[in-house]
Amino acid sequence: MPSLQKSTIRSIYKSLISVALALGVTSILFLATGANPILAYYYIFYGAFGNLNAIVETLVRMTPILIVSLGLAIAFKCKVWNIGAEGQLYMGAMFGTIAAVSLGNTPFTLIISIFAGLFGGIVWAFIPAIMKTKLGINEVITTFLMNYVAVYFVQWLLSYPFRSTDSLFPESSKLPDAAILPTLLQPTRLHLGILIAVFIVLPLVYLLMTKTTFGYKLKAVGENPEASKYGGINVSRTILLALVLSGALAGLAGFMEVSAIQFRMRNSLSPGYGYTGIVVALLGVNNPIGVAVSSLFIAAIFNGSSTMSRAMNQPQGIVDFMQGILIIFVLASEYIMRFLEKKGVVKI
Amino acid sequence: MIELALFISLFSATIYNAAPLILASLGETVVERGGILNLGIEGAMLMGAFSGFMGAYLTGSLYIGLICSIIVGISTVLVFGFLVLKINLDQVVSGLAINLLASGLCLYLFRLVFSEGQLPYLPSLITPYAIPLLSQIPFFGPVFFNQTIFVYIGFIAVPMIYLLIFKTSFGLRLRSIGEDPVISSYLGIDVTKNRLISLIIEGALVGMAGGLLTISLFNTFDTRIVAARGFIAVSIVILGRWNPIGAFAGSILFGFTDALSLWVSAFLTGPAALSISQLLSILPYAMTILALLIGGRSVRGPASLGSPYSKE
Repeated sequence: MPSLQKSTIRSIYKSLISVALALGVTSILFLATGANPILAYYYIFYGAFGNLNAIVETLVRMTPILIVSLGLAIAFKCKVWNIGAEGQLYMGAMFGTIAAVSLGNTPFTLIISIFAGLFGGIVWAFIPAIMKTKLGINEVITTFLMNYVAVYFVQWLLSYPFRSTDSLFPESSKLPDAAILPTLLQPTRLHLGILIAVFIVLPLVYLLMTKTTFGYKLKAVGENPEASKYGGINVSRTILLALVLSGALAGLAGFMEVSAIQFRMRNSLSPGYGYTGIVVALLGVNNPIGVAVSSLFIAAIFNGSSTMSRAMNQPQGIVDFMQGILIIFVLASEYIMRFLEKKGVVKI
Repeated sequence: MIELALFISLFSATIYNAAPLILASLGETVVERGGILNLGIEGAMLMGAFSGFMGAYLTGSLYIGLICSIIVGISTVLVFGFLVLKINLDQVVSGLAINLLASGLCLYLFRLVFSEGQLPYLPSLITPYAIPLLSQIPFFGPVFFNQTIFVYIGFIAVPMIYLLIFKTSFGLRLRSIGEDPVISSYLGIDVTKNRLISLIIEGALVGMAGGLLTISLFNTFDTRIVAARGFIAVSIVILGRWNPIGAFAGSILFGFTDALSLWVSAFLTGPAALSISQLLSILPYAMTILALLIGGRSVRGPASLGSPYSKE
């Protein structure tokens, strides 16, 4: 492909090497537990893409992961380590749900609720953002702690003020019909949110990062904040915006998950999408296209591994293990790549 | 006299809850003095908690569990050390990677040994040991000297880490590296070796802090058991101005917050009691953020903290 730059090809190689090594280490784990790794990967692939419903479910799983990790790619591009996407997702989902339930069935319910979801994520990201830019407090610590505040706060909201009267569990009332994202292909769960993620959010983030001055500023601040400052870029404002935008997208992902899949806000809403997003954004080298491919890959592992666990009597949690291994190899991939280039195994 | 007993229980619980934070923040103080920001201590604590539990569960000895958590704590921090010292990766991202790896690994291994729905527990916990004579002192005795071995190790570690940092040649070298690794290396100081030693010390302390959670505080394991204590410890290091005594004071303060929310919950009655006690679980996290907001502004840590260093 002559149109691709050398550096892009190199990044793709690095990500592929990371994936291959992660699959390799996981294979060793399978062998150690007496399972056949080839059979295991076959079941994972079959579980993720084996039939129409499996493919749809993989896309359903991909949607929140994609939106969260696109947001994180924006933040990571300027080296703002937002690890609070999980909390931002919960707050977005909660704000959106409150808006939807209190508005009831009106023509504007869905759109207002979506904005409420974005706003919930923004609020939750704004606190660490302002602490970072005004007081110089490390955003990694604050965003992570805000996750705990969010999850416990949502748990309280769902147990008391916003608890549904028609349910035994701590969860919100069912969303009004006007706030539900429509299903596109009965009887599967293929919903409008998938199209929103792939055909609206992804192109918008791509344009923002590659075709706007803000995208350029993100890159400049990420690579050299000192030089950016002398070059006339408002570093604080760029960092603040990057963090808040990533929060907004996490909030959107949260509300869409309620509106298209759960129909009620629950405190079991996310199986850690906020953390998965970190792995996906890094694996995709903070490039929107790379992030899209990576989120499909992780979503496939997510869904496929539960099929595999059932078929081969393997413990759940292989997806968490793979994410952990994968991120180590993604980080070390530059080192591995240099080693391979020196040995002449890879030539670009 | 009932009131006094209640206050004794509050302050005794304060020390008890502070113990993992004391150990972890002392460890982090040591490495940060050498210029390394290790955010992977959340993961190292989790590995310590898991291995402590498994060691104790499989051998039936709580002290073998403790040794396991120290060894695994050191190993986990050494993986971080490999990433940042050997291949010069970004410290923040490497720390996050260790956390994700630890939670994935612990979840998987735990599920490998115990099937879904099975709730293994340890038949006993490391219990308080009353120090003869000292524990007889009114009020202070039961608060400070009727505690577990972890608390005593924490008490002893504070002056030891203080002396290590400020009164030994190793401490002097470490602080010099923390201020400027390049100049330190011109002066003949082996940056990598000294940082490695600091990481091993941290690994032992943090692994122990994790082990404490499963073999002394709770008798079971859950992947959410650390609950941000590692990050709270990192915050305490900032609030304590990279000084072991400050870290100790900060840990006591946060231990008090924990103990207070439990203590208040025990007194609440009426329809709102459950609601308020649930809301109180936010307190430790909100307190940390608030404390950083007030005490974390414009503090100056070791000059090279968090920045990469390579010999080339």
